[in-house]
Amino acid sequence: MIPRWITVAYFLYLASPIALLFIGSFGDLWLNSLLPTGITVKWYLDVAADPNFRRAFMASLFVAVMTSVACVAIGLPLAYAVFRTQSQRVRAAARVLYQLPVAMPALVLAFGFILVFSSDTLPWLGSIWLLVAGHIVLWLPYFLQTVVADMQRLGLRVLEDAAETLGSTPLQRFFHIVLPALRLSVLSGLIIVVALSIGEFQFSNLIAGFLNRTYPVVLLQAFYGATGFACAATVILLTLALIASFTGAFVARGAARLSVAGDER
Amino acid sequence: MVDVRLEHLSAEFTHPSRGTVVAVRDVDLHVQSGELLTLLGPSGCGKTTVLRIIAGFQVPTAGRVFIDNQDVTSVLANRRDIGFVFQNYALFPHLTVQENVAYGLRVRRQSAADIVRNVEKVLQLVDLAGFGPRLPDELSGGQQQRVALARAVVIQPRVLLFDEPLSNLDAKLRVQMRSEIRELQRVLGITTVYVTHDQEEAMAISDRIAVMDQGRIAQCDTAEELYRRPASSFVASFLGRTNLLDASVVRRDGDRVILDMEGQCLSVEASAAFGAGDAVRAMIRPEAIGIGPAGEGLRATVVTRTYLGDKVEYVVRCASQDLHIVRFNPTESERFTPGSEVTISLPSDGVQLLPGN
Amino acid sequence: MTEMPSVRVEGASFSYPGGKAGVFDITIDIAPGELVVCIGPSGCGKTTLLKLITGLLPCSAGRVWLGGEDVTTASVRSRQCGIVFQSYALFPHMSVWENVAYPLRVRAVDRTERRRQAEAMLDTVGLRGYSERLPAALSGGQQQRVALARALVFKPRTLLLDEPLSALDAATRISMRDEIRRIQKQQNIASLLITHDRDEALSLADRVAVLRDGRLVQIAPPQELYDRPADAFVASFIGRTNLIDGRVVAPDAVDTAIGRIVTPAHAMPMGAAVRLLVRPERIEPSSTETGENVFAATVVHDRFFGASREIELSVGQGMLKIDTTVRGTIAHVHLPRQAVQFLPTH
Repeated sequence: MIPRWITVAYFLYLASPIALLFIGSFGDLWLNSLLPTGITVKWYLDVAADPNFRRAFMASLFVAVMTSVACVAIGLPLAYAVFRTQSQRVRAAARVLYQLPVAMPALVLAFGFILVFSSDTLPWLGSIWLLVAGHIVLWLPYFLQTVVADMQRLGLRVLEDAAETLGSTPLQRFFHIVLPALRLSVLSGLIIVVALSIGEFQFSNLIAGFLNRTYPVVLLQAFYGATGFACAATVILLTLALIASFTGAFVARGAARLSVAGDER
Repeated sequence: MVDVRLEHLSAEFTHPSRGTVVAVRDVDLHVQSGELLTLLGPSGCGKTTVLRIIAGFQVPTAGRVFIDNQDVTSVLANRRDIGFVFQNYALFPHLTVQENVAYGLRVRRQSAADIVRNVEKVLQLVDLAGFGPRLPDELSGGQQQRVALARAVVIQPRVLLFDEPLSNLDAKLRVQMRSEIRELQRVLGITTVYVTHDQEEAMAISDRIAVMDQGRIAQCDTAEELYRRPASSFVASFLGRTNLLDASVVRRDGDRVILDMEGQCLSVEASAAFGAGDAVRAMIRPEAIGIGPAGEGLRATVVTRTYLGDKVEYVVRCASQDLHIVRFNPTESERFTPGSEVTISLPSDGVQLLPGN
Repeated sequence: MTEMPSVRVEGASFSYPGGKAGVFDITIDIAPGELVVCIGPSGCGKTTLLKLITGLLPCSAGRVWLGGEDVTTASVRSRQCGIVFQSYALFPHMSVWENVAYPLRVRAVDRTERRRQAEAMLDTVGLRGYSERLPAALSGGQQQRVALARALVFKPRTLLLDEPLSALDAATRISMRDEIRRIQKQQNIASLLITHDRDEALSLADRVAVLRDGRLVQIAPPQELYDRPADAFVASFIGRTNLIDGRVVAPDAVDTAIGRIVTPAHAMPMGAAVRLLVRPERIEPSSTETGENVFAATVVHDRFFGASREIELSVGQGMLKIDTTVRGTIAHVHLPRQAVQFLPTH
């Protein structure tokens, strides 16, 4: 029964800071005691009223949405190309691409961006589009991996062959078969991208201009002020992340239900 | 010499949605030393659970397990000295063939020289000499199966256990591997329990077969006995194909009874349990029924004819019942096409009576 | 005038890059309503052949005709082949009827009409009432029926089935086998079925084509293939065999390890090395100890299979396999002269 104890201990370890944040965000006064005193929602109202936070929230959403759009526009054709290729070299290149975000920390990417885009020829540092560009580099591989894996699991190749023999044109195949069959993995890939993008700090902290700082970047500043305010701001970020991950799990379950039981033998 | 004895073995599970599920009910079984005994049954009959209990992977809810007259019910799997061959082979993917086979000897702390010698010997035995340095990935399914076999026998286990070892192989390889397994088991003389759902495999490989149904052993005997004298219609239809025909007993005649079957009289051997007026089911094997051109006797219509080279299978409709007929080595004159009228002859021997509904 | 075959493959070849096995110079005609089963060990090129007919692979040499039209360079779409894939390849996001109606949808048949035709086809394959289900909610056998309905609904020129039964369990396989045969005959469509299972080939086919290493070895009706195989490979792929090597000693006799075997009259020269084929089920246990082709035998292995038993016998200096329904001990066996046939040696 040792594994059960480890599970419980790990859960406590994981949950207690979150619980504390939650309690703190509703606490009125929190000075030198273990727990705060009084219950209030004023911190949330404060966060909502703070123009810095409002702007950061919108910036974060904008970056996440734009990254998602780019992932579909660039990532989907790319995933398809990687899936269909016969060439060992392209496959190897794709594998490297998948590993890139693990191998290369966001910090390194940020320094690279600073070097290139602070020059006179490309003076775009501080633009929100540059932020979006960076996020695409960071999160596209996750999207690709999710979608390519789903293509393989579905046996998309044979599905397309089947559709072709049944008389459909390449365009029809894409809209009738490829897109609908992949819709759940595209969705779950996007949820991963959004969750990662909204929580990203390292890269955004270095690249974002003052007027388009993202939510996590502004959040750090909050900890220099009132504890309750900081807690409330964090809980908002946490809630966004939780919504994303629950939606993701829900979509994944739907995908599992759809998968044809052809592999039961 | 090692035997395996199971006494009043039961096993229950708690299933998340179906509550308590009884997988094994009060099983008694004695595997003789050196014998290959097969647990045969449909999926979910409890055969694998029995095997896992013998292996020690699972603890029975009730009952006891004896290996070599020693109660091992509460002995851990790694102390039972068993060789287990898994359905998916369970080879260690990161180890070479040599290292896979050597693993059991290494944990038994044999000397390096002994390990090399023993592994070499057993790889030769399974026809894989020279494959030692390869990784499992580089082998075909049949070869992987042989490695699994080598790994199981190299430790000279007291008991060898097989869990559907051939189900991942194609038909031709399956036939070949089963005779190899049988040969190896005979040469080594290890007491063996073998689990399968394939009746042909069971008949080909076993000394005795225990047919399992819903957690119980329905019958345990040699293949020939099970086939000729099945104790129930379940056993009859699980081992080979069979016809179960409704009939009624007209009268007794010594140790035989006269049956009325579709208006046709048939005299068959029967135990005293059946008397005049009883509804019975007559079990007749497809190969025991004769088929000929339409004439005197029991008339039937051919529904399907399936040519299989060494034999032809017919389904014929006789009154309201469909009959399976198998003709081995059929002659040219014996070709009846679907739709044609034929006469069938029922045998007086080899008919087994089971109680009717 | 003979009827034009529905499918004609003439000298078709294809080789994969890297020299992997392809197919070489294959010629097959399939008549309207005929079912040809293509059988061979894995890697023999049977799936490649199917892809050449559908156009999923291009012929590097040779031609393909469908319904009298040369389609060698035609696109996959325009060839109008109905295919049942090994994995069924049902579209997971479409309901059963939408799957079946898909070929009609891309042919711009209006929705009510295609629904009607799909339902009618589902009826034919015995799936009435399953229209609204998703493929994932069906058993293997049912998915197979959907795939069959989808392949037939647009009245294709030919039906091609790629190992359609290999993913099913034994009992379903046998009932689906009969079902495929019934539907194929009812639709009266020229069909090619790929398999590696001899029972499937013998029981289903009008003619069986045996492929080996990308080449067509023999094509013949099942009984002819079994009784008069072209060579030892076909003989042993399609059934169990005794292959006995020997030397001709008389116009009707061959000396072998088993002893002197009397054969049907032949024209081989004296002293020629020959290979004889005797099917195990044609050898009979003998009650007499002497006579033509009667040999003393000792049982080595005796395997009981219920309806029959497979016995391995040591005879003279050689071994014989026999299949018999006879019970009891065997001391002598008889090889009927007519059961002995010659195979080419090479």
